[in-house]
Amino acid sequence: MIKFPGTNCDLDVVWVLRRVSKLEASSVWFTDFRVGPWDAVVIPGGFSYGDWLRAGAIAARSKVLDEIREGIRNGLPVLGICNGFQILTEAEVLPGTLLQNNSCRFICRWVKVRFYNPRGPWLKLVPEGLTTDMPIAHGEGRYYIESEDVVSGKPLIKYVGNPNGSAYDIAGIASDDGIVLGLMPHPERAAESELVPRGRSCGGLHIWLSIGESLRVGW
Amino acid sequence: MPLSNDELVEIRGILGREPTKAELNMFEAQWSEHCSYKSSRYYLKLLPSDGEDVIIGPGRDAPAVKIFNNYAVVFKMESHNHPSAVDPYNGAATGVGGIVRDILTLGARPIALLDMLFLGDPTDQHADWLIKNVVKGISDYGNRIGVPVVSGMTWFDKAYNRYPLVNVACVGVVEISKLVNKVPEANDLIVIIGNTTGRDGLLGSSFASKPLDSSEDYLNNISAVQVGNPLIEKLIIDFIVDITDLGVVKYIKDLGGGGLATAVSELTADYGLGATIVLDNLHLREHDLRPEEILVSESQERMLLVVSRDDLKVVQELLEKYGIQYSVVGSLDRSGVIKVYYRGDLVAEVPAKALAKPRIRLRDAVVPKHFNELNVEVRITDIPEVKDLRKLMLKMLRSPNIASKEWIYSQYDYEVGIRTVVKPGYGDAAVLRLVEVGDGLGIAVKGDGNPRYTYINPFRGAANAVAECYRNLVSVGSKPIAIVDEVNAGNPEKPDHYWYFTEMVKGISWMAQELKLPVVGGKVSFYNEDLSMNSPVKPVATIVGVGTIANIRNVVTLDLKEDDDLILIVGTTYPELGATEFLQVHLGLELGEVPLPRPSSELRNAGFISELVGLGYAKAVHDVDVGGVAVAIAEMCIKGLKGVVVDLSKVPNRGCSRYEELLFSETQARYLVEVGSEVLDVVVDLARKYGVDVGVIGRVVGDELVISYDGHVLTKLKVDELVNVYENSLNELMS
Repeated sequence: MIKFPGTNCDLDVVWVLRRVSKLEASSVWFTDFRVGPWDAVVIPGGFSYGDWLRAGAIAARSKVLDEIREGIRNGLPVLGICNGFQILTEAEVLPGTLLQNNSCRFICRWVKVRFYNPRGPWLKLVPEGLTTDMPIAHGEGRYYIESEDVVSGKPLIKYVGNPNGSAYDIAGIASDDGIVLGLMPHPERAAESELVPRGRSCGGLHIWLSIGESLRVGW
Repeated sequence: MPLSNDELVEIRGILGREPTKAELNMFEAQWSEHCSYKSSRYYLKLLPSDGEDVIIGPGRDAPAVKIFNNYAVVFKMESHNHPSAVDPYNGAATGVGGIVRDILTLGARPIALLDMLFLGDPTDQHADWLIKNVVKGISDYGNRIGVPVVSGMTWFDKAYNRYPLVNVACVGVVEISKLVNKVPEANDLIVIIGNTTGRDGLLGSSFASKPLDSSEDYLNNISAVQVGNPLIEKLIIDFIVDITDLGVVKYIKDLGGGGLATAVSELTADYGLGATIVLDNLHLREHDLRPEEILVSESQERMLLVVSRDDLKVVQELLEKYGIQYSVVGSLDRSGVIKVYYRGDLVAEVPAKALAKPRIRLRDAVVPKHFNELNVEVRITDIPEVKDLRKLMLKMLRSPNIASKEWIYSQYDYEVGIRTVVKPGYGDAAVLRLVEVGDGLGIAVKGDGNPRYTYINPFRGAANAVAECYRNLVSVGSKPIAIVDEVNAGNPEKPDHYWYFTEMVKGISWMAQELKLPVVGGKVSFYNEDLSMNSPVKPVATIVGVGTIANIRNVVTLDLKEDDDLILIVGTTYPELGATEFLQVHLGLELGEVPLPRPSSELRNAGFISELVGLGYAKAVHDVDVGGVAVAIAEMCIKGLKGVVVDLSKVPNRGCSRYEELLFSETQARYLVEVGSEVLDVVVDLARKYGVDVGVIGRVVGDELVISYDGHVLTKLKVDELVNVYENSLNELMS
């Protein structure tokens, strides 16, 4: 778990990785992170550098991103959630960009999402077309990409009922091999039934179970 | 200049000479109403603050109350009314920042925020600007520091068109053994951490201790409003949580109202110490600040730490890791005197105790003239019959005071921290799990206040706010353990304004004693008046309460769960239509006798509800509040997407002669409960044992809310239509 100044979901993700994925996990201050000993990296949500300039823009230009790029070249699974996804697009690790919601307001709400072309360590156990629920909480979550061609064939998470004006309803996107996944919804908030409102399902669970199994037996 | 001539004479007496500019500012800040409570302290002593679980009561920046085994909850409320009237975005944002730092002073991790907002009519242009910016200020600040806004309340009234009341509360948790609560000693160092000191918020607490008189006042006071930096606040939170774990800081204080002057004077006075402060050491934003400005600047995100010389290095290392600026500005001694140096000159030399605690001011209180005009008996025979109940019901659900506040709470990240088990809109109170304390353990939190009640009858209104908070905590299945209060009143120098304050404190005090709820902390906000407005700012007592939950898997929400279940009303209904939403919506009247506070019924009925929840019989619980049974049952239908057939003739009552009384009375101490029909006999037996009046008033069925009286259908409303009106009307008003 990489913690920048202003990251605020790091302990939430550590908790879920330990409790749900049954993995060892720690929150590491961004200047202390070295790629060597870790089996996977999560960049959690929050407001790195207070969202100054643009969400994720400053964190994306810190040295730790070089470490992460090196890890990815060697097959290190990387997950960016919310601000982590914004950082990964700012760093051009994932395609597209995240703009202000079309309502111009911060939105915190449970939404329905559907998975397409799931593969790789984060989505190993997700069946094609799975429709489930997760909450969003962001002001700059409107995904933008020039052409659908760029994303076609990649693992995708799409909104069912677009809450923010995202292009092609995209809520999350992974690299072709699924090693790097970024998404705006918060899977760590939808991983334990006691936190899921009545009538909604535990949509984040699939991701956490996937990474647990992937790191133990491969993907 | 808020210092009176008498006070100036007193200051000369204390010092034995003319005060310097720096000393004058220190006295002005510390002797302001905001910091010194000089007009309120006498009455605040009435509030019951003791309890076996109270670890730290009023007096420090925040109180601490024991929950479960080794943990304490630290919670407190404050207002940012004046700043929000002038600069709603920064005013509301820095209110959040300030209350979070109060919680940090004991080393607690902040886990939840609540906002209690009293806002103007959204159709008024100025009010609309205030509303949008207050909410955005809280949203931008709260979201960025990673503390979820989980609960609160909102009231709309044109009385707040130009002057909103913004009350914010924060809840934190800490292991009792790690509470930052050591005794500062001579030779310890004073370290100021966080933001640079600049010119924002100069004498802000003094500005908040006088009325805003004219439009020019709003513009001229912009420099008294602080500007927030949530990133620094977030780093301070992370630092305090870590340093508390290491146990090396002895004492922490927020640099809030009155800035450095107040923080140092309260620290030294509380422990009989003195201090030497060298202002040159402090990190500044602007280098031409004068010493008298540095002392009273209220720049945000600054805290004072007392550290022993041996531990300084550890503290410095952690501050440097987080990139937090800091300065060692001075040290403590046994002199009892605060000495302030700047560029080699002694700019202030003040006895700490005389500065910290000005004499109590006894103010006159008289009943305002309009009290008798407002407190008239509302006779049912004077109320015209409701011709179109359906239309009236929809009008009530559309009223912004009733309608869903989703437009507001969806702008807050209410889930960060993954603790929010019962989220906004789902229950009478928010429920947070506490995984660090133990599996299944949690707390419920809620904030309440009703300015219509407190304006008409401040004693009853304040007492009812305590009772309502108590009911809301009970509804979700928690055991209420303590409350904090915020009393928002007018100018204490005006006897008919001050009377509201005294009556509200008496009302809170009485009900808290009756319900055995310690009032562990609170705040008073005076001078909430705006002479440029046509209507007065309505005074209100806001209450925030915390309850403990032994098993969060048993908490109860308010949405209807299953067809064929029964709806029970718990508690007796009286003909109390005075000061109700019904009177306002039906006849446009805000008057009448405020519903009577009923502490013994509250205790009895709450005991029964707790038992039902504990036994697992209650599938949904909702307290009956503004709008009466009509609104309560409609909300249960809306949230559960289920219909109900209600028979009002089954409502246990005393002296009600028309159905409007049964449907719209706001009698206190009542709940609606959904139970399975198979347990009805057991539940009724239990009610008898508790001496509680219950009536089976309805059954969950179909997709309509049908309201009838003894077989005669009064109205039918499609649940879809209720949902549409309730969920969307505030959204439509705001866009």
